[in-house]
Amino acid sequence: MEIELEINDVEQTVDASKSDSLLDVLRRNGYTGAKRGCDTGACGFCTVHVDGEPVKSCVEPVTKDQDTSIETIEGLGTQSDLHPVQQAFVDNTALQCGFCIPGMIMRSTALLETNPNPTEQEVREALSDNLCRCTGYKKIVEAVLDAAERMDSDTAVAADGGTAVDNDGGAAAVTECSRTDCGCMEGDQ
Amino acid sequence: MSNDEETAKADGGTASRSETAEDERSEEHPLEWDEPENNDKAPDERDSVSHRTEKYDDRKLVTGQAKYTADYEERYPDLAYAAVVRSDIPHGRVTDINTSAAEAMDGVDAVLTPESDAVPDAKYTSAGQSYPEPSPWDMHVLNEHVRYIGDPIAAVAAEDRATATAAVESIEVSYEKYDYVTDPEDAFDEDAPQLFEDGEVENEIVGHDYDRNRMAHIGGELGDVDAALDGDTHVHETEWETIRQSHANVEKHTSLAYTNEDDRHVLITSTQVPNHTRRQLAHLFDIPIRDIRVQKPRVGGGFGGKQAMVIEPIPLALSLATDRPVLYEASREEEFYAMRSRHPMKVKAKTAVTEDGDIKAIDIYALSNTGAYGSHGMTVAGNVGSKPMPLYSKVPNARFEADIVHTNTPQTGAMRGYGAPQGTLALEGHLDEVARDLGLDPIEFRRRHHMEVGDLDEIAGMMGGEGANRRIRSCGLDECIERGKDAIGYDDLEQPDEDHLHRGIGMALSAQGTGVAGDELGAAQIMMNEDGSFHLQVGGVDIGTGADTAFLQIAAEVLGCDEGEIIVKSSDTDVTPFDYGAYASSTTYISGMAVKKAAEDAKERILNWGSKLLGEPVGDLETGDGTVYSEASDDSVTLEDIGYEAAYGDDEREHILGKGTHCTEESPPPFAAQFADVTVDETTGEFEVQKLVVAVDCGVAINPGMAEGQIEGANHMSYEMAVSDGITLDDEGRAEVADFDEYGLPSATETPPIESILVETHEPTGPFGAKSVAEVPTNTVPPALSNAVRDAVGVRIREMPITAEKIRSKLDEREI
Repeated sequence: MEIELEINDVEQTVDASKSDSLLDVLRRNGYTGAKRGCDTGACGFCTVHVDGEPVKSCVEPVTKDQDTSIETIEGLGTQSDLHPVQQAFVDNTALQCGFCIPGMIMRSTALLETNPNPTEQEVREALSDNLCRCTGYKKIVEAVLDAAERMDSDTAVAADGGTAVDNDGGAAAVTECSRTDCGCMEGDQ
Repeated sequence: MSNDEETAKADGGTASRSETAEDERSEEHPLEWDEPENNDKAPDERDSVSHRTEKYDDRKLVTGQAKYTADYEERYPDLAYAAVVRSDIPHGRVTDINTSAAEAMDGVDAVLTPESDAVPDAKYTSAGQSYPEPSPWDMHVLNEHVRYIGDPIAAVAAEDRATATAAVESIEVSYEKYDYVTDPEDAFDEDAPQLFEDGEVENEIVGHDYDRNRMAHIGGELGDVDAALDGDTHVHETEWETIRQSHANVEKHTSLAYTNEDDRHVLITSTQVPNHTRRQLAHLFDIPIRDIRVQKPRVGGGFGGKQAMVIEPIPLALSLATDRPVLYEASREEEFYAMRSRHPMKVKAKTAVTEDGDIKAIDIYALSNTGAYGSHGMTVAGNVGSKPMPLYSKVPNARFEADIVHTNTPQTGAMRGYGAPQGTLALEGHLDEVARDLGLDPIEFRRRHHMEVGDLDEIAGMMGGEGANRRIRSCGLDECIERGKDAIGYDDLEQPDEDHLHRGIGMALSAQGTGVAGDELGAAQIMMNEDGSFHLQVGGVDIGTGADTAFLQIAAEVLGCDEGEIIVKSSDTDVTPFDYGAYASSTTYISGMAVKKAAEDAKERILNWGSKLLGEPVGDLETGDGTVYSEASDDSVTLEDIGYEAAYGDDEREHILGKGTHCTEESPPPFAAQFADVTVDETTGEFEVQKLVVAVDCGVAINPGMAEGQIEGANHMSYEMAVSDGITLDDEGRAEVADFDEYGLPSATETPPIESILVETHEPTGPFGAKSVAEVPTNTVPPALSNAVRDAVGVRIREMPITAEKIRSKLDEREI
């Protein structure tokens, strides 16, 4: 079957079978930032936004997503132009292995959309469905609080006539060697 | 050295402090270390080291661009997917495997059973350790004799995941069932069902007695413990028990195997040990080492669970059978029942202490449940003694013994801390109990005996193995204790207003090692480009720890260039120099020192070219800010000018290359002082941990932000060991945990505030003064929390996890 949806502001028609989850479809189409951790909605590594809401894409039947708008980590910022939440994670050394981080960041951006000035407890509660094995969450929580402050001041600057942070993202930019079997792992290490 | 010798060392025997004169020992293990001048830099002299440099891979990680093994899927259009049939009985022999339905299924490419040609017959161990391997060869890739619920029996490759899973479900296995045993004490009984026949295991380990399911027995003694226990002392004995903890790696075990156009075999795999895996695959499949390439992409956590060749043989065998690339991604359920876990142990601690509080002897015994197979069994058990006991280097008599036994339960293996958490719980809980019994302050009691600079640590060496007879050249324990006390508010603890609530503080100390003494090797190479930038190739394995960044900072510090000028390539056995891998807290210390040596080698060539271009002697030149400059004339030349001249000069040309290789007999201990602040409700036993504080001496932190991250993450894992059930098993040894929902990994709201404190010392044997950080804070929360509960309400929980029910039950006993 074919599903029409928008991924990171690009309208797409994707092939899917009835049993496919949204995660299956995203990963098959190059959006591999969302990670497969459990397939049961228990870890949060696959969190993306569906019509602005954070969703665990591994338990979201893609058939539900006809005509929806999906935002993935690939749509947030680029390596040279990070979204403030991404930048705050980097600046606070908030990640180690990084596998949970795309989901963690999507969860955090959803939180800050609805609650731009969360308390530490509110951040912890918002992130409680997203597990992390490396960090003990401390620096992640600090990064989200830091991001809230940054975005707050960015908004102030923008309202003041300054330049707001550019959050536009395109489709999944998979920057790798195009040869199937060259084994160079370019862009990986 | 033969493996017998290797393992015999661990059996040791006895040693005596009086056998060798102190001056002879000083000669062998001098306090003074011949440290290069450039290794000891004051904080304000450090340009890159000790800075909170942005983690090298962070930008691609936060944008979702980084690639883990499963993300290579899209590169292989003809990729097949693997799934595995696993034993659903605890012990028995497979009598028939009916694969006809699976083979008839559309989209199934191969079905392998133990009989298949592509499946190796050879025995092996999955443990990714040095060679000869100190773990028994007791495993097969696919098994006829199954020894736990989860043992692999057959494997399938199919067009897609769903077909592979359906094929596996269609395979019918018939068994002859054997008696089984799941409790380690029962397994040690002579009448217990036996997992291995005598002579069945290759590469047997010292002390094995398969009639009693014992894969190894180890021990060692310093002085005369029995005499001290019989002397005029207080003898205390306590017993402790630890959980079967899951690594719960966020990225599951995942491997992709294929044969390339050169007819060589490539594994892209989520591993901590690329070089060991290459060697093990070569042995197993009888393929020359040179024809195997192991590439480590980004790895989503290891914690020891990937210090093993856990799954790689299966996709490789399927790839050989199908002539297609094959991806095997374990399921989350398999992670909990069929991969690896921390060895659950019962540990007894005994001490002889004088009325005045002088410890005359420490005696520790561990019974370790290694599960169905023996990977890492002996070495993990050895660390139960050899890591925590040396902390009390002033104790004259010490003994450690361990029995490591098989049960029909899931496999265990290496896990962060590597035996030290089990030993630390027993020793630090025990000493707290002794101090309270004798009316001594638990901290002062420890202070009288703990290690300090100048000590010759003979306890780690008493079994003759890892860490033998170390001289201690850096130790920040006192400062760790002081700063930890301040941060937790040790001296001004306020009790809650409510009468039924009681607040207490517990503390525990810990030491680890930094690499396996005398059994490590790391290597690195640096190539200079003509624009003055560099490629750093290093075997060291970044599994999410930030090792690549630490390597970068060490190299930049030596080369005097901006960190952005260095491209790091690590862990690809075809192109990066050799390395033992990411384990034993070795990476920064061993591989990092190799990087430092490689950078110094390159720097020597750079200064030579600088001398030529500036017309000044090398002795006057130094590197910094991307230049070679003269301290005599203030002249300088950029690294770019040197790069172009070296590559394209008229008279003479040279590719500036530096190489470094590092091994050492040293393994300096890092130290931790842990504090836990708990409030217990005496009516219910419920408790709340207000705060965890852990102060760590890791020498010079190469990147303080990353070091804090390691400490916080380790303490979170340690907290889990104190309060979570781990992987519980039913009567047949079946894991009762199949998903994160059922496993007690503390979430953001369930994790108490953790404060990490870095206490800087200078370790002269480490790169720029560094020693290890990542393991030592894993050891300390269970004893600190047990001690805190004891402090709060006077009851002692020795069997992990600490629960409200257990506290309540002990309080009830006390009231009666």
